[in-house]
Amino acid sequence: MPIPSLYRWFSGLFLTLLVGGCTSEVGSATPRIAVIPKGTSHEFWKSIHAGAEKARQEIGGFEVVWRGPERENDKSQQVDLVQNFVASGISAIVIAPADDRALASPIAAAHRGGIPVVVIDSGVQGIPGSDYASYIATDNVEGGRIAARRMQELTGGKGRVLVLRYQEGSGSTTQREQGFIEVLSAVDGIEVVDPGRYAGSTRESARDAAENLLEADSDYAGIYCSNESATFGMLLALRAREMAGKVFLVGFDASDGLIEGMRAGHIHGLVVQDPVAMGELGVKTALAVLRGEKVETLVDTGAKLVTGENIDEPQIRDLLSPPLKKYLGE
Amino acid sequence: MKISVPRNSFSTLAPFLAVVVVVLMFQIYAPDQPMTFQTWQFVAAQTVVVGLAAVGMTWVIISAGIDLSVGSVIALSGVSAALAVEAGWGAVGGVLAGVATGAICGAYNGILIVGLRLPPFIATLGTMGFYRGVAKWVAANESVRPEDADGLSFTAGIADWIQPVAEGQWLAPAAWLLLATTILGAWALRWTVLGRHTVAIGSNELTARLCGVRIGQSKVSIYALAGLLAGLAGVMLFGRLTVGDPTSAVGIELDVIAAVVIGGASLAGGQGSVTGALAGALLMSVLRNRCTAVGWPNFVQEIIVGHIIILAVAIDQWRIRRTNR
Repeated sequence: MPIPSLYRWFSGLFLTLLVGGCTSEVGSATPRIAVIPKGTSHEFWKSIHAGAEKARQEIGGFEVVWRGPERENDKSQQVDLVQNFVASGISAIVIAPADDRALASPIAAAHRGGIPVVVIDSGVQGIPGSDYASYIATDNVEGGRIAARRMQELTGGKGRVLVLRYQEGSGSTTQREQGFIEVLSAVDGIEVVDPGRYAGSTRESARDAAENLLEADSDYAGIYCSNESATFGMLLALRAREMAGKVFLVGFDASDGLIEGMRAGHIHGLVVQDPVAMGELGVKTALAVLRGEKVETLVDTGAKLVTGENIDEPQIRDLLSPPLKKYLGE
Repeated sequence: MKISVPRNSFSTLAPFLAVVVVVLMFQIYAPDQPMTFQTWQFVAAQTVVVGLAAVGMTWVIISAGIDLSVGSVIALSGVSAALAVEAGWGAVGGVLAGVATGAICGAYNGILIVGLRLPPFIATLGTMGFYRGVAKWVAANESVRPEDADGLSFTAGIADWIQPVAEGQWLAPAAWLLLATTILGAWALRWTVLGRHTVAIGSNELTARLCGVRIGQSKVSIYALAGLLAGLAGVMLFGRLTVGDPTSAVGIELDVIAAVVIGGASLAGGQGSVTGALAGALLMSVLRNRCTAVGWPNFVQEIIVGHIIILAVAIDQWRIRRTNR
């Protein structure tokens, strides 16, 4: 390609981008709201996607662009995504930051540059209202406390309780562990055993870690795990030792495998979040900011305890298996 | 042409010796937390996935290659096996689906390396992403969980093969499978034509070519074999998780390569031991278990494993220099 035509091609591209950017600001085109999860394959993120689609179907008149990093929790790719969306003239961004520091400056830069950012699921450093529009998430410390109260009730406030942590540096799960330990440490009859062992990011690493912990010591009244994969790994390890059902297992999040475990009497409590609400509120809040309305800077979407008794209540059933098909059309 | 299979019993025994030393050291440090027979049963089951993949990886590394896609192949094969079981093909169908998937992935690696003349590192770096993507695609971005009529997880009995402890069972059947595969892999490396060619290619590809070794054909076979074993590892992972999880086994390729290197293989090719790789995989499982038993946090274990890899290679290098002098 000769140089003049290359130059023309680039200037054309530049003009297109410029015009594209202008139209979205003027508001003549439909607003596009980008939703950036931490990953795309877990059901949790699909639920957030469903929530975002729900908001779009209810309100209409805007577009939802769903794009996450290929690898779960890939911080640098998330930074790239934010910057690319800003460059492409997106109207607003809803993001679940994979890192509370790494994403802080791109988010603040976008928000201050006139593209409202709504943070969901996990926190990010900065001041809500000036560095980003709003923070919408589960209060994870409170979720941990809910799990602890369930454990206290199950064990009758007596015995040793093991904590299998999820992963180093993961903000939300560390808060769940913190809330759990905080409540149970104050109970006289309960000894919280926290060996500082982490389940790791996958289910097989969780099963290995759980087997090794139980092999070292298995004299527990109860066990707590702070996310889905850790709870599932622990469930498999307990079954392998034929201890399932004999020890109280309280976990976090839900999946088909965990629900089956609860129905079999092997899991005695699951604290679940409401990701559909998170996605829905995230998009609705972004839209409100675009319309110049005032929004709450902090929203707790709440955590609920699921037990063998309430598992079939309609409200809980919707939390456990969100109507993904209805909104995502899969 | 100089063919250097492990020259003395030291090469083969050293990694096993390291396992014994580690166990003894922990025994002295914490006498109240001994390695019981049951502990070994659990450790054996935990070694299966990495161990099976390490047998194939040893062949690849001896041929002066590398396979970075092994974690993705394990995940994809696990998903295949789960889908086969879900479709009602039974345990045999599940194993065949997983193993065939692995072998096809491996053969494709080999074809890329030979056909496009790509360095194995680059070719398998590319297919690492490719196979992971396919796994997520065929699994529709979520775990494949076959169910029985009562809504319980159903693996057509594959889960029982890798159950660490069961009545009337010494080691998990999968652990015996790993042992048999290792012995067969070591034997075939020494006594089959493909095995000899693998060592010859890794020692000096040009010389091997001049001696009439069909390089392309051999390489495709080597990578297909490694893929097949990774596929078998994937089936075992499915049994262990009771679901086919497309996001599992991320980063496991580094554990597999570490096992092979601890086992005495040289990344320059021409040298390595299948039984050594088994010991390497076992050593890492034992360390993970022992660090938990004595109550050390994860980072201590990571620091130790890192140094063991460095130490294993350093000792091996020193020994080779001394014998060559």
